[in-house]
Amino acid sequence: MPKTARPAYDHEGFSPFGDPMLRWLAYVVSGWLLIALVGGLADVMHLTIMLPATSAIVVTHVAFARGTSVPFGLSVAIALGYLEDLHQGAPMGTLCLAHAFAFLLLRWASARLHLRGWILRGVASVFAVLLIDVLTWAVLFTLSEPLGLRREALISSVSDSRWHALATMLAAPPVWALVERVFTLLRLEDKPPHQAYWSGQ
Amino acid sequence: MAISVRSVRNGVLVVLLLGIPFVLLRNSTKHPHEMSAFDRSVRRIGAPLEAAVSYSAGMLGSFFERWVLQARLQDANEDLAAENRELRQRLRELVALQEENQQLRRALQMRDKVPEDMIPAERIGVDQSPFFRVVNIRIDRGSRYAAPGMAVLSADGVVGRIDKIFDDYSDVMLITDPRSKIAVELARNHAQGILMGNDEDSCVVDVSKDFTVEIGDLVQTSGVDELFPKGHPVGQVVSVEQLVGDQQRLYVSPAVRFDRLDVVWVVLANAPEPDPRAEDGPPGVRSRGLQPIR
Repeated sequence: MPKTARPAYDHEGFSPFGDPMLRWLAYVVSGWLLIALVGGLADVMHLTIMLPATSAIVVTHVAFARGTSVPFGLSVAIALGYLEDLHQGAPMGTLCLAHAFAFLLLRWASARLHLRGWILRGVASVFAVLLIDVLTWAVLFTLSEPLGLRREALISSVSDSRWHALATMLAAPPVWALVERVFTLLRLEDKPPHQAYWSGQ
Repeated sequence: MAISVRSVRNGVLVVLLLGIPFVLLRNSTKHPHEMSAFDRSVRRIGAPLEAAVSYSAGMLGSFFERWVLQARLQDANEDLAAENRELRQRLRELVALQEENQQLRRALQMRDKVPEDMIPAERIGVDQSPFFRVVNIRIDRGSRYAAPGMAVLSADGVVGRIDKIFDDYSDVMLITDPRSKIAVELARNHAQGILMGNDEDSCVVDVSKDFTVEIGDLVQTSGVDELFPKGHPVGQVVSVEQLVGDQQRLYVSPAVRFDRLDVVWVVLANAPEPDPRAEDGPPGVRSRGLQPIR
């Protein structure tokens, strides 16, 4: 099967200046703001429900974006995972690792799947958050002794993943639209919003 | 398959980047309660950003809470208004009960003070003129208890006489009825006369010009007709008309508000005369019978 020509908008590698850096900052700052916003709103409104994983939605967006390379997307995922570790108080590196592997898997899927419409994006975000939760749980379960964690507590928290997924699926459309709007305002997106992503081979 | 330089570079970068979380995890397991300098600096940089977001979220939350609070206040206001309406209705009922209680107490007090034999009767109906004046009342005492001509009193004064008797109720002819005649006197100077009904809300009585009459003089029963007990208020003089001859005509406004009567008393028998030999022997028989004016 012949290789398809790379699109002209495919940004490979890192560059300290120009679109890739600005795009990286846009992803990380947007994710950071969303983490702070969700936490702040939950605290102000005294919410006791499971909060959405906005970082998982951003990582899904990065994985399925056309103008990003694997190292670029992986660095964004690791940065967002690091910020999540800081905010949630988890052992540093836990969510980092989970976000990183989730991105790699989603990137592999983006070569074979075509996300179109809010429903598929929501489903993809749900898959991402479930993947992150499973990986996080696996890391914590593996390192429970060095980290001083009770395995019984980890086992009982598995059932909460479904609410985490539901909240993320409900938050996926507005978060996705927000990220695309930010990129449009910064003129980083080289296509109009609400169109299908790359489904290259 | 040829491997491009770009692919190799990307692969190396991926491996290096994946090493970052492993390094962080290793540090966490070794020093789980310590925070590195980099972590502290990231927190310090992000603190203003997070503070701004929290402040904005707080503003939004307070606005939402205020809106919700206003909605709750509105609901509470509606509940309180409904409760207020119920309480006002109950208050009106209680005021009516209080007035009825006062009337009944006054009636009972009258019953205790008046020596005549009387039975209470409740007003069950009225007849009104086209001008909404009461011209006739109906009481719940029938042929079993009452007889035509019996006097009817109230706590405020004289009402009239029983006119017609039916099985379970009776019609009372008021003192304002043109057919009504009652022996009265002025309380101030005992000028006597016969009170007759004039119109729907007044009576007339002719007395001698020898007696000076003033507006406001109290007119009471004289007991001469032996039908109405002596000394019961009938009304007040509202105007005086000098007639040809030695009479003067007094226009009397009744003391009783016929439209507000609830309980009246039917006089069964007048009190007996005081026994001149009361100090010597026991008191005589109480009841003497009825003698209406014809």
